[in-house]
Amino acid sequence: MGDPPLPMATMTHPPELPAPAELTDPATPSKADAVPAGRIELIRTAIESAARFLPTQGPIGVFIAQNALQAFECEPFEEAVVHAARLYGTQPYLAESRYREELARGRIRAADLESVLDRDLRGGAAALLVNGKLTLRDLRLTLLLHSVRQEDDAAVRWTLTEQDVLERLRDDLSPEARWRLLSDGADTTDDDPNERLPDADDEAARRATFSLDDETGKSDGERHAASELWHACVEAVALSRPSIRHPRPPVRLRDLMQAVDPAVDTDALVHPLLIRFCAAFLDQGVAAWPMPGRERGLLEAVARMYCGRFGPTEPWSAQLPQALRRVRGVPAVEVIASELQRLGVPETEWDEFVTRTTLALRGWAGMIRHLEERPDRAPVEAVPARLIDFVALRLVLDRVAAEWASRQLGFRSSGTDDATSPQPGNGLRGVWTELRDRSPPQRGPGSLARAFLLHQVSQLLGLTARDIRNLDENELLRFEQAITSFDGFSRRRLLHLAYERRHRIETLDALAAHVRFATPSSSSRPLFQAVLCMDERCESFRRHLEELGPGFETFGTAGFFGVPMYYRGIDDWHAAPLCPIVMRPRHTVVELPEHEALSRHEFQRNLRRRIGQLTGGVSTGSRTLLRGGLFTAFAGAVAAVPLVARVAFPRLSARLGRTAAELASQQVPTRLALEREGEDFLPDGTHAGFDVTEMVAIVRRVLEDIGLTTGCARLVAVIGHGSSSLNNPHESAYDCGACGGGPGGANARAFAMMANDPRVRSRLAADGLVIPDDTRFIGGKLDTCADTVTWFDADRLPESHRGDVDMLRRACTQACIADAHERCRRFESAPLDITPREASQHVEARSVDLAQVRPELGHATNAAAIIGRRSRTRGLFLDRRSFLVSYDPTADEDGSILTRTLAAVGPVASGINLAYFFSAVDRLGYGCNTKLPHNITGLIGVMDGQSSDLRTGLPWQTVEIHEPLRLLVVIDATPEQIIAAASPLAGVRQLIENQWIHLVSWDPESGTLAVYDQGTFVPYVPEHNDIPVVDRSVSWYAGRRDHLAPARVLAALPRKSTPAASHHS
Amino acid sequence: MNEHDLVSLLVVCQLAAPAATLALVGVPTLLGQPPSERSTSRIVGGGFATAFIAGLLTLAVLASRDFRPEIVHLGSWFSVGHHEATIELVADALSVPYVCFSAGLCGLVNAFASKYLHREPGFTRFFLLLAVFGTGMNLMVLAGSIDVLFAGWELLGISSTLLIGFYLERGNAVRAALRAFATYRVCDVGLLAAAVMVHRAVGSGDFNRLFGENWPHGTCLVPAATATIVSLLLVFAAMGKSAQVPFSGWLPQAMEGPTPSSAIFYGALSIHAGAYVLLRCEALLEQAPLARLALIVIGLGTALHANVVGRVQTDLKSMLAYASMTQAGLIFAEIGFGWRVIPLVHVISHAILRSLQILRSPSALHDRHELEAALGGHPGADRWALGRLLPEALQARIYRIALDRGFEEMVVGRLFVVPFLWLIERAATLERRWLALLGGDPGPGGGRS
Repeated sequence: MGDPPLPMATMTHPPELPAPAELTDPATPSKADAVPAGRIELIRTAIESAARFLPTQGPIGVFIAQNALQAFECEPFEEAVVHAARLYGTQPYLAESRYREELARGRIRAADLESVLDRDLRGGAAALLVNGKLTLRDLRLTLLLHSVRQEDDAAVRWTLTEQDVLERLRDDLSPEARWRLLSDGADTTDDDPNERLPDADDEAARRATFSLDDETGKSDGERHAASELWHACVEAVALSRPSIRHPRPPVRLRDLMQAVDPAVDTDALVHPLLIRFCAAFLDQGVAAWPMPGRERGLLEAVARMYCGRFGPTEPWSAQLPQALRRVRGVPAVEVIASELQRLGVPETEWDEFVTRTTLALRGWAGMIRHLEERPDRAPVEAVPARLIDFVALRLVLDRVAAEWASRQLGFRSSGTDDATSPQPGNGLRGVWTELRDRSPPQRGPGSLARAFLLHQVSQLLGLTARDIRNLDENELLRFEQAITSFDGFSRRRLLHLAYERRHRIETLDALAAHVRFATPSSSSRPLFQAVLCMDERCESFRRHLEELGPGFETFGTAGFFGVPMYYRGIDDWHAAPLCPIVMRPRHTVVELPEHEALSRHEFQRNLRRRIGQLTGGVSTGSRTLLRGGLFTAFAGAVAAVPLVARVAFPRLSARLGRTAAELASQQVPTRLALEREGEDFLPDGTHAGFDVTEMVAIVRRVLEDIGLTTGCARLVAVIGHGSSSLNNPHESAYDCGACGGGPGGANARAFAMMANDPRVRSRLAADGLVIPDDTRFIGGKLDTCADTVTWFDADRLPESHRGDVDMLRRACTQACIADAHERCRRFESAPLDITPREASQHVEARSVDLAQVRPELGHATNAAAIIGRRSRTRGLFLDRRSFLVSYDPTADEDGSILTRTLAAVGPVASGINLAYFFSAVDRLGYGCNTKLPHNITGLIGVMDGQSSDLRTGLPWQTVEIHEPLRLLVVIDATPEQIIAAASPLAGVRQLIENQWIHLVSWDPESGTLAVYDQGTFVPYVPEHNDIPVVDRSVSWYAGRRDHLAPARVLAALPRKSTPAASHHS
Repeated sequence: MNEHDLVSLLVVCQLAAPAATLALVGVPTLLGQPPSERSTSRIVGGGFATAFIAGLLTLAVLASRDFRPEIVHLGSWFSVGHHEATIELVADALSVPYVCFSAGLCGLVNAFASKYLHREPGFTRFFLLLAVFGTGMNLMVLAGSIDVLFAGWELLGISSTLLIGFYLERGNAVRAALRAFATYRVCDVGLLAAAVMVHRAVGSGDFNRLFGENWPHGTCLVPAATATIVSLLLVFAAMGKSAQVPFSGWLPQAMEGPTPSSAIFYGALSIHAGAYVLLRCEALLEQAPLARLALIVIGLGTALHANVVGRVQTDLKSMLAYASMTQAGLIFAEIGFGWRVIPLVHVISHAILRSLQILRSPSALHDRHELEAALGGHPGADRWALGRLLPEALQARIYRIALDRGFEEMVVGRLFVVPFLWLIERAATLERRWLALLGGDPGPGGGRS
């Protein structure tokens, strides 16, 4: 099964050393009988380095939003996206046209472009071009502001024939450039008397041209100027030859073959088979019949199954059984060594070769890698997944396909000269060398394309035919070089920076303007306090609660509320972790039925089991031959009831189902077995619950984190969140990120129980953290899709607090309705004039509708994170775009609270942000594209259609309205405090220093902002000092679907009387 | 208005309603102004609803007179001497319930898709194709002559192909569409040849000259030999659309389009089109024991094949595709046994159940969790009881055969596709040589081999 033990310390062996004897395996029939230990080490290194670049997403049942480019976090962001784009064949930023749309509608402004350009060019801005007529900055700014098509010769030829680009000037010229071009045309028309304008005087010519312009849209002068410029450009370009580059030929044989003959694609042959193997190997229970022998690993299982020579094969795979027979019983690493040798890949290229080979099917490879490292994450049963097996199998398949393809290629390419047809033996090596020689050179743009580009750019810059003709060869080359070197990636990078800059300015301006109105909460005791997740989706819920009155206070913290645990609910059959992905819980908590309800619970469980057996039997039975035949023939029509009900009346049928379930069985009252008795460990090595000391630490930590060490209200609600939706493989992507893709209700419930415990309170009080005697905590769960709140253990609170609980329930119901109404503005299928009541029904229907592919929008539109006191942001409409983390710098003298806050918040928030960022930037390459053809495979992932790579990332429907922006993290602390707090956290520092997040310091005293930029904090000067003011959130968002700028919401401010506030809208 | 006119009107309505929606949505789209999502789905849905209601009314009228069939003569396409190609529809105990069922299902899928495809770039295209499909389906079901049936059959095929290839930008989808299309075309030859045979035998394509229209108790009006040949040709035609071995390879690959189209085509209606045609011509089958034997063999073979192969499928849609194929095979066998009502009930029952299962297929994880919670553990692999009795080595072999989908693709490739391509190449070469012999210029493509 496993590889024989290998000497691991042989890294230093030079590769040419003779092979150690113990490594020769008599079972290896290939010529590479002996694989030197150094090579084996090289292969292992190559596999490890390839594995870094694989998607990190695990089985889809637990979807955790992570940075798609985690492997690149050690590089600066702007370099990393380009490197990743080269490696994966993906896009680094949005398409240029998308940015240009944003430019056109004012989301990006010219000032933003100028600013990022100046910062980018630094000293080089003033470099002169075209005999000193313009600077490099002018040129680049023009290319950023205007879209210039850079096409190849064929496309240009088409444009020239089909469009009148040579007869008219571009429409988007500045008046100045236009005037210059036209006046030049007027001056140089001596050779053609017919086209001479009535007066040589510039001013008159201009008038004549423009008056003519108005009537016909195209004057003679314009035609003349354009065509004259075109001739000048053609002449200029003729002075130099088009460039030819000899790029390094691709490393993979398949890429090489495709470069030589695009019709040959061995991946198209290999992938269907390989996908079938991987899917069968990893299957967690879709197939009724598991793959035989898969406990031996992928390579061995396939080799054993396919080495037999029976049955027909595809033409290409005729040699496959033979090839696999040789692989049987051979360790994967030796298979790889012999395959690499067969291909003649030089050792220096092994790394790249293996990486490219692995990445060709990176979804499956990544899943195998993930289950290799985390077998505990397999939904049903762990299989012995090993990436090295996958690579070995893939190389064998690749080779068989390549041998076949090279025969095709040799036959097809020359016909007579059959030099490339492989001899038996060292065939492919010869093919490879030959193909490398034949690898076509890359031609630069041809003269037509160059002339056209020059023509377009010259117009934009107002360079006339005379200007172009006056250029000598060097100057012209320099000019052309300056245009082409500012390529698509560079332009998109700057456009993206400008895009982010505008958002930053908008947000920071609002913060700077709002902080002057921020008042510490009133001295009277609040009516109640609610602690929610920092999730940006909770921002609107909190705001709507606060709008209900100044007595309502809210806090935000990581939504597992400091309680990392494995949790088994009353309906679950096994415990699942509820904590951030980076933590491994050490405690298990189970939910138990109350004693008086035990018998009812038992009855219900049996009933459920029987129903489960029945439905399970029906769904598997309907697919079999005999049972299925009988069943479908005679009872299948019964399915018409759920079919019609679910499709035509989703909300009604869900309600009916729920009511029926409630009627049949009343909700069983439950409790959490939170406290452990004894110190025994459970079989999985965790404790069965927490002890009082641990509870004290948890409660203290959370209360300190959010700055609620004094001034507790009579009732403090702790509200976790989760999401419910149907027909949605990505359901868990909508749950709480801080709970590792699970719902956070149980954590909130556990926290409330801990904080209510009198022993915990007395221990806390002894340490100086006094929770008033009349304060009670209550746990709850917010369903972010249906916008409902469920409460836990409300009946356990004392009689004295009934009134408070009723008030809380009413307030939260109201906030839920308002929240649903605000969310509906984003759903195109909800009318803009929807009433709050209808909105509430609308979101409920979305959560139970089989046909709904956007039950909610998840974290889409997230763009900022504000870590600080709520009093500074309270009353600010943040459009559900900001993570809000409560943190009180005045109570954090040594900065330790900030450190632990950053440690928890940094990775979670930036992981979510960057997952959305990349899925939105490239929905095919990083995202999993549209959900519609998705097909659940093996219960571990989704494919497009019936055979594709496993699709990782987020679906297009989720990121559709997302603006890909790096997270703008604003921290209520001085720059020094931030630097000190981040210094012990290597991961967070890396995110900051490499600009994967934008960091802003918000001075706790003065409220001035400073933006982190390459090691220093630069003070921020607001562009505007005013901020729109509205009375309620609804008056700001009503009737609008797009992203909204921050606004001050008077109703949510702690004190209602805000002097001299001008009302907008 | 007498009863005949009423039924005629209703029957035409069942056909015209979906066809009209095609024009209502299609024409503005061609003019560059596609209707909004809401009106598109409402128009198309309205067409199906109209057809459904008209179907129900027809059913009521027919029921009131013991399902005496009503033939609706729409006109004549052409006539040459004694030959006549008429355009005829028939409303009887088979076609009207089937129209209600298919229009109702189309309407449901329309409602589902109007949300499911929200904001998808191909929204209008999807609904147009759904309207084409609905029109073709009703045309085929109501057909009173083999010519009309053929027209409906072709509309079905083309809409199916275009929906498999809905995601034009994905190579796999387009390849799968082409694969299905090729199978359809090959098997369409059967229907076309059957039509020619029918015309030759009775001088017209009308079913009522072929067999007495009194479903399910029709009487064959042609000699047994003709009946056998036509039946065999019809069986051949039906094998393609209903994915019977050896023409079943396209079905699992066809799951490339959006889920609702997979549900209605390969779970519900298209997959049973072959069975419907056979049911329609049951009177011919009655006289053709050979064809019935063929049906039983093909049907049971397909059911067995699909059942074994389906057990190793690891993705939901392939698994459901093979499950559909299993039942389609059984239905074929049932028709072969000479049953009438049982296969019809089976078709309708199966279609409803399977389309619900396909529509719900993205819920697999959710359902699985529910099931695990209810059972308090993993449901356990539902191993093949029969398979466990076999020796392990044999099990591995069968597994491999199943994983290779019964070698169906390879066998068909070897036995049919490769010789066929070779034949075409040869023909092309011969033609060039012939042209060269005649002294003509072989043309620019002449040098290629």
